[in-house]
Amino acid sequence: MIHLKVNNLHKRFGGNHVLRGVSFEINGPELIGVLGPNGAGKTTMTNILDGAIKPTSGTVYLNEHRIDQLSPFEVARAGLGRTFQVTRSFRRMTVLENLYVPALALGHHSQGQGLTDEAMEVLEFLTLDHLRNEYAQALSGGQQKLLELGRLLMLDPDVIILDEPFAGVHPRLMEVIYAYIRRVKAAGKAIVLISHQMNAIFSLSERLLVLNFGELIADGLPGEVKNDPAVIEAYLGSDEEHAV
Amino acid sequence: MKRVPDIAGVLLLAFFAAFPLVYTGANYDYVMHVLITAFFYAILASSWSMLAGYAGQFSFGHMAFMGIGAYATALFCHYFYITGEPTGTCTEFGFFGNWFVIVNPIGVTSTTLTQDCLRQAMAGWGDSVSVTPMPVLLGIVLGTIAGGLAGLLVGLLVLRLRAAYLALFTLGFSEIVKATISAEIDITRGQAGLELPALFENGVTVLGQTYDKTDKIPPYYAMLLLLVTCLAILAWLARSRFGLFVRALREDPDAAAALGVNTTRYKVYVFTITTAMAAAAGAVQAHYVQIITPNMLFLLQMSLVVAMAVIGGIENFVAAALGAIFLQIMLEVLRTSFTIGGVEIDMTTWRLVFFGILLMVVLRFFRNGLIAPVIARFRRAGMAEETVAKRRAGEARP
Repeated sequence: MIHLKVNNLHKRFGGNHVLRGVSFEINGPELIGVLGPNGAGKTTMTNILDGAIKPTSGTVYLNEHRIDQLSPFEVARAGLGRTFQVTRSFRRMTVLENLYVPALALGHHSQGQGLTDEAMEVLEFLTLDHLRNEYAQALSGGQQKLLELGRLLMLDPDVIILDEPFAGVHPRLMEVIYAYIRRVKAAGKAIVLISHQMNAIFSLSERLLVLNFGELIADGLPGEVKNDPAVIEAYLGSDEEHAV
Repeated sequence: MKRVPDIAGVLLLAFFAAFPLVYTGANYDYVMHVLITAFFYAILASSWSMLAGYAGQFSFGHMAFMGIGAYATALFCHYFYITGEPTGTCTEFGFFGNWFVIVNPIGVTSTTLTQDCLRQAMAGWGDSVSVTPMPVLLGIVLGTIAGGLAGLLVGLLVLRLRAAYLALFTLGFSEIVKATISAEIDITRGQAGLELPALFENGVTVLGQTYDKTDKIPPYYAMLLLLVTCLAILAWLARSRFGLFVRALREDPDAAAALGVNTTRYKVYVFTITTAMAAAAGAVQAHYVQIITPNMLFLLQMSLVVAMAVIGGIENFVAAALGAIFLQIMLEVLRTSFTIGGVEIDMTTWRLVFFGILLMVVLRFFRNGLIAPVIARFRRAGMAEETVAKRRAGEARP
């Protein structure tokens, strides 16, 4: 069973204490939303989880393997994949080639019809099949978001971190992303959803984590978190601040 | 339509393969020399295209690796011999009744009888003792390995460097190699140059036809074979997962790593492979011209290789190779001075101006070069129509 354990993560950039003892666990195919105002530490936490930066202290275990000191490619191979807040498709590679990269990097696939068929199935699901031979730079921003999601399907990790998947996406494409999330969840994967879109995150998430100034101030069911005084204060400010 | 570039490539290869045998025009040796040099630059431009165009590693040290290959084989052939008797004065090791002799490095005077230990011994032996130089082919192989190892080292050192920092680092490395070769006069003979045996020192006989060491046909085919071999390896790499991963590395190394690509490994691989190719070209060229100096590592030479790749098309190694051949021939054709309205245009000077203008025009108006877009046009023929047709078919679905 999928088990991600984040234990007492701290991260300092010089004098800036960005993460302050963040701890949580994911057990099984949960869909966890992460909320927090700008500067709360969401992206830093994501970068630590995927190995892009190392924590100042603390540990991360994925399925009993410590991953906080691994390189990003090792983390990906260990079973944790992510998308980026600003889309990072391989712009001068075709849509199909974008999907081949993670599949071949894992070494589970060889180039051939089987790989193409699998990639085409993913593209059809994402409604990008007609663009398979186009360069990624020819795609719209929303389509590039979908392409990033498609790459994750080809990587097939146990834990998927989606960083702002709905930002700047046309409502019709958002439906595709909702379907994507349902598909990944049904496949038994865990999803960490980071978004500023409150409606989406409250409607989709089974559990919510709220970060504020690098601290985890809430961890619970969406209904509980919504009424948590600390969360309300973090988002709306305290009564004293309102009075000022 | 998609096969047109393949067919054109086969025809072009057939043309170059037949050219020395059917060419009956003037200045045969000169024309052959121009083409041999063009093939040499084509290897450098195509391998640099894989490094910079495919993998996004803008190295300005490619000529340094070429020089390492050239000097490695030159030093190997210049200093090492096998003799039947010990010289008594050289550094030497006995093995199986023979002696492995290392000639003393004594710089620019090493060819004089009074200081060269082996020549002194040979003067005493007469013809009674065999003296065997090292095989040129082994020297070329060692040169290739030396260049590849240097590329491996530099690849490891530049792992965290990108863009301008990588360019400056490799430029610095190139200057260090050139300065070291220039400074170590005792070993490399500095600007006096190091002489090498010919590519086919004892001549060669093919299909009953004997060519001596000054004939152009054997080195022509040797360089063409090396070019075709390098292009075949590059084509194989480009179509494999290696090509896919290095292009992902070029596009976004962080995203590639997040998708499981060991970017460190592929960065080192691409440095090692392409620098080994540059070194192989340098080693063969050195034996062809038979003398090398540190001047071959001048920055201007590197700029020429970059210009060739850019004019051909930096993101396509075949286009880069064709760009090199085209430019090398054009630079020779432009040597011919002419007169306009009684004013003589001295092309020995002005050809470089034309070259510069061509480069600027390509950079401004043809960002993908002159040849690569033509190849891409055929390769991607019909794809836009296919996209539109598929989209319409999708829209028509209930």
